[in-house]
Amino acid sequence: MSWLTPHIATQIVDFGSAMLLVTCFAIVAQRRLSACVDLFALQSLFLAMTAALVAFFTDTRHIYIAAALTVVVKVVVIPRLLKGVIERLNVTRELVMKVNVPASLLICGALVMIAFFITEPIMPFGHLLTRDSLAIALAIVLIGFFTMISRQKAVTQLIAFLMMENGLFLGATAATYGMPLIVELGVFFDVLVAALIAGIYTNRLQDAFDSVDTTRLNELKA
Amino acid sequence: MIPDQPIAQAIALILAQAVVLLCVSPAIVGLINKVKARLQCRQGAGILQPYADLKKLFRKQPVLSTTTTWIFTATPYIVFASTVTAGLLIPVFASQMPLNFAGNIIAFVYLLALGRFFLILAGLDSGSSFGGMGSSREAIVASLTEPAMIMAIFAIALTAGSTNLSTIVHRTALLEGIATDPSAHLMALSAVFIVVLAETGRVPVDNPATHLELTMIHEAMVLEYSGRYLALLEWASAIKLLVFLTLIANVFAPWGIATSFTPMALSVGLAVYLIKVAGLALLIGTIECMFAKLRLFRVTDLLGVAFILALLGLLFFYMLRG
Repeated sequence: MSWLTPHIATQIVDFGSAMLLVTCFAIVAQRRLSACVDLFALQSLFLAMTAALVAFFTDTRHIYIAAALTVVVKVVVIPRLLKGVIERLNVTRELVMKVNVPASLLICGALVMIAFFITEPIMPFGHLLTRDSLAIALAIVLIGFFTMISRQKAVTQLIAFLMMENGLFLGATAATYGMPLIVELGVFFDVLVAALIAGIYTNRLQDAFDSVDTTRLNELKA
Repeated sequence: MIPDQPIAQAIALILAQAVVLLCVSPAIVGLINKVKARLQCRQGAGILQPYADLKKLFRKQPVLSTTTTWIFTATPYIVFASTVTAGLLIPVFASQMPLNFAGNIIAFVYLLALGRFFLILAGLDSGSSFGGMGSSREAIVASLTEPAMIMAIFAIALTAGSTNLSTIVHRTALLEGIATDPSAHLMALSAVFIVVLAETGRVPVDNPATHLELTMIHEAMVLEYSGRYLALLEWASAIKLLVFLTLIANVFAPWGIATSFTPMALSVGLAVYLIKVAGLALLIGTIECMFAKLRLFRVTDLLGVAFILALLGLLFFYMLRG
């Protein structure tokens, strides 16, 4: 593999990270809930691919396991769970938004710039393999956070939360070549349980208010 | 950049490129329609159907409304000429075209904008309310695509270090003298792809198959045209589609294009070019079957994504250089 210089490897990993960022923007611009779930599954697939590439280039075995778990949990199980939740609901799309789509996109673009400016001083100290993956990971976390704040439907907020988790996983893989396997297993379990709880919570919300708009929870305040 | 070449060879190359653009473009439209028909479990018209349509239209006598002025009759010729000229600025099967001194990628974008400007005027000129509606919508879409297109193009021009299309394609094909950055490339490519769908009036933005007056954009503007004028406009829009597909194929993945002028390299370049363009046509046909047309006020969301991605492409370039 003489062609596989560290420079080429960096570019391939960066390309994978960029794919994740592109799907982030697609999720922000997408109003249909089921399409959001599909895009999240796609993003997780890109994440698994990027992680597997990092594992391949750095010859770190346990990242392969993490990548395989990503496929199982985030590409298959969680999207199915969410699809089931959406089927029970009477809404298929995000209708009212606190921030409309073009403005959200511009804000997310600004968040990416902020992420780049924050990580810029750190980059020279990082490993060669992960040039801008760290910045992209931070950008994905920020975008997920913003989407959680700006959307009102519980399902979208859950997807945004999972998107944040994807960003964190990418950051961990990119910056430190993955956390210890036991930590990663714990994180996967947590994410799965969080998705389950949020799914149940969404269903309860639907039963109680006949809507999954989380702003309705304000009515509980006396 | 361009090696000295005999004037006869230069002229032959330009003519060959013009012939390829003029002859292949209706087949691409036919191919997209065929793919759509097959995916919808229909037999569909043959790939060569657009040629027959053009032939029929050229024979028919045009009918002009009494309210129209010279703009209405001049527009088909202006649109056709500006589209073909833009097509000649972009390398099709050989990376170094002799005409590359004539204009860069900015000239390319604004030649197409010139054609659209006259088309908008002609839509208003016919005096029908549908024409006016189509013109107004086209202007909205154009004002949204242009920033995204220009940003994406600058991202590419910066990585190649030149705004000249031939230079960009040649350097990328040989992987020399360019700052290869796949992330910036990917962002710009996604942006340009969305822009191409909007600019050529394909499905998420406009539906080329519909004649439902309330939703159409391009079809509404050319509603009053008939005979040879309509044929010219239809042909020009087919060429515009092919030119944009060429832009995607050759600027973002130029590998396989002829970098020298030997007959062997040229024929391989032509074959690879046709395969690439046919592949993109298959993709567009599939997209048209999978997605519904967006409501007009949702088009801003889609083109907003294109703009942000193009902007990030530029940003990545500066971040990674800085």
